[in-house]
Amino acid sequence: MSDMKYTDAVTMAYINLYGVLGGLTALCDVVPEARKILGKSACSIGFDVKNGPAATLTFVGGRCIFKEGVENCAIKIPFSTCEKFNGMVDGTVTPIPTRGMTKLPFLLGKFKKLTALLEQYLRPTPDMLEDETFLKQSTAIMFRVIVSSVAQIANHDKVGRASASYIVDGAIKLEIGGLTSAALIAKDHMLTFSPKVPKTFLSCMQFADVKTARDLFDGKINSVAAVGLGDVKIGGMISQIDNVNRILSRVELYLK
Amino acid sequence: MRDAFTYPNAAEQFRRAANVIPSGVYGHLGPVEGCFIPVDAFPLFSSRAKGTYFWDIDGHRFIDYMCAFGPNILGYGDPDVEEAAAKQRERGDCTTAPSLTMIDFAELLVETVASADWAFFAKNGNDVTTLAVMAARAFTHRKKIVFFKGYYHGVGAWTQKIDYAGIMEEDVQNNICIDWNDVTAVERVFAENPGGIAAIIAQPYMHGNFMDNELPADGFWKKVRKLCTDNGALLIVDDVRAGFRLDLAGSDHYFGFEADLICFCKAIANGYNVSALCGKDFLKNTISSMSYTGSYWMSAVPFAAGIACIEKMKKLDCPKLLIDKGAKLARELTKAATDYGFNLRVSGVPSLFYLRLADDPSLMLHQEWIAECVRRGVFFTNHHNHFINAALTDADIAETVDIARDAFEIIRERHPGK
Repeated sequence: MSDMKYTDAVTMAYINLYGVLGGLTALCDVVPEARKILGKSACSIGFDVKNGPAATLTFVGGRCIFKEGVENCAIKIPFSTCEKFNGMVDGTVTPIPTRGMTKLPFLLGKFKKLTALLEQYLRPTPDMLEDETFLKQSTAIMFRVIVSSVAQIANHDKVGRASASYIVDGAIKLEIGGLTSAALIAKDHMLTFSPKVPKTFLSCMQFADVKTARDLFDGKINSVAAVGLGDVKIGGMISQIDNVNRILSRVELYLK
Repeated sequence: MRDAFTYPNAAEQFRRAANVIPSGVYGHLGPVEGCFIPVDAFPLFSSRAKGTYFWDIDGHRFIDYMCAFGPNILGYGDPDVEEAAAKQRERGDCTTAPSLTMIDFAELLVETVASADWAFFAKNGNDVTTLAVMAARAFTHRKKIVFFKGYYHGVGAWTQKIDYAGIMEEDVQNNICIDWNDVTAVERVFAENPGGIAAIIAQPYMHGNFMDNELPADGFWKKVRKLCTDNGALLIVDDVRAGFRLDLAGSDHYFGFEADLICFCKAIANGYNVSALCGKDFLKNTISSMSYTGSYWMSAVPFAAGIACIEKMKKLDCPKLLIDKGAKLARELTKAATDYGFNLRVSGVPSLFYLRLADDPSLMLHQEWIAECVRRGVFFTNHHNHFINAALTDADIAETVDIARDAFEIIRERHPGK
């Protein structure tokens, strides 16, 4: 390997499934248009990646629920390699379901519209961010995608595993002031994303507001500088925060 | 109850710094690595320092238990050290040919440090830990270096980890990290890497951050010393942090063993910038063969300051003095904590004591207590060992304990159930 990114296709696949497609849960939660697209439709899509992740997205009641495993999905899409799954997310590989042919209209219709909408919120143009409502929605969705991706990098990426090896057990609360929060639960040096923050947590990192979070996500400001300026507050078991920050810095290597 | 300090000037100056300096104040003196939690409880900048105190830019005086993270061992601006430095400055400092003061300083170190047959000077701790590791590789023609978890040996690429910014896998692929005090692990790594280990590098005891400091178990160092000797590996003691606060002859001497190479900085010259690698005679030729130098490494003023500092430390029996002061402070702080129903753990050697309020595993309660101490004029830090200096008086200790009691009272009112 001649570069210093040390990224890999397996971690990318976990990020694509848990982080990016998992972001559909946040999209349906915060964007009314997404719920409108879904209407009263109910369907579930399982992505089964050989030597990689397997999870099901269930769409029901205008919401999207993410669950590990593909046992109970209506549509099942297998991938023989992580690279092929990543290709589907990039739009270079066409998915071929092995189960749920009668549900294909959902996959090719509403699901495709939802993923296109998700892309708008994850890769907005600067003028879209001038709309304050859009900015908040986009930032909340990005937050979900990024935090859940941190867990995948901690669990699968070679460098992320090194950081995770120093993370002690306990919950890490992450919060954007006035907008949203989530947690990473550390157990035996593995991280699990939790959209709900447990009552007790071992450490916390709070971005002061939407603008701070957005500027950090967009690489306009640095978290170390932001802590000094009081725009990011940290507390508790700082070794957890320190190592989560190291993993956080790898998210952009996967999610350009 | 004392009023809490506020720092309007510090906040303004930090913003000014952040405009032109990456992260405002980087490294261990900055709010992130320094774990200033919350940032607005800490003074951020100093305006002057004398003895055991520093004053911030908002006019507050602090009893300083960080001592510039170690260098201040006799007291800021110690008159004997300052006089020696001033006299040397009149004669010359950074010059084309080095001063004889360099030889005087090396002779004094060889006379003082038990495992020193020679001394090599540089500027920072990292300079000499790096030289020690390079020397071990040059001498043994082996690649691997053994570390103990929780180590800190500087900021060179070899000291960092693969997940640190700017570090290549190749920088750290010959690092082996094992648990502190685990002799079996030391035996295992030698067995797994026959003829491959150049050195073990370690601080004299585990004074890592975010954890109670841990002294060597009985017999640990003697066994490690023997394993290194038996396997042809060098034993490097990184005494940058603890040096001269345990034993003027070196912390290896304090714990009853001999290092092959020992690294000093921090307290060596009471704040003047010089570091030293000392070592055994059999390594002198190896060091001679190495290409290793720096623009300011032979500046004479820090050498003169170092001589004055070491001579005064000898006169004061400084390590004992500091250990006694630290032990007194630890006893009284622990009692104050108990009086308010808290469990304050004080670990490490008392001259380098580490504090942890053990009532809350998240350490948030500890961070609140530290913040309230700092806001009232006692500069503690959250997750790093502290440092005692010789200028600290009984009156300073009493004032510290009074302030600590105020801080305990505040957090007890906030958290009646903890």
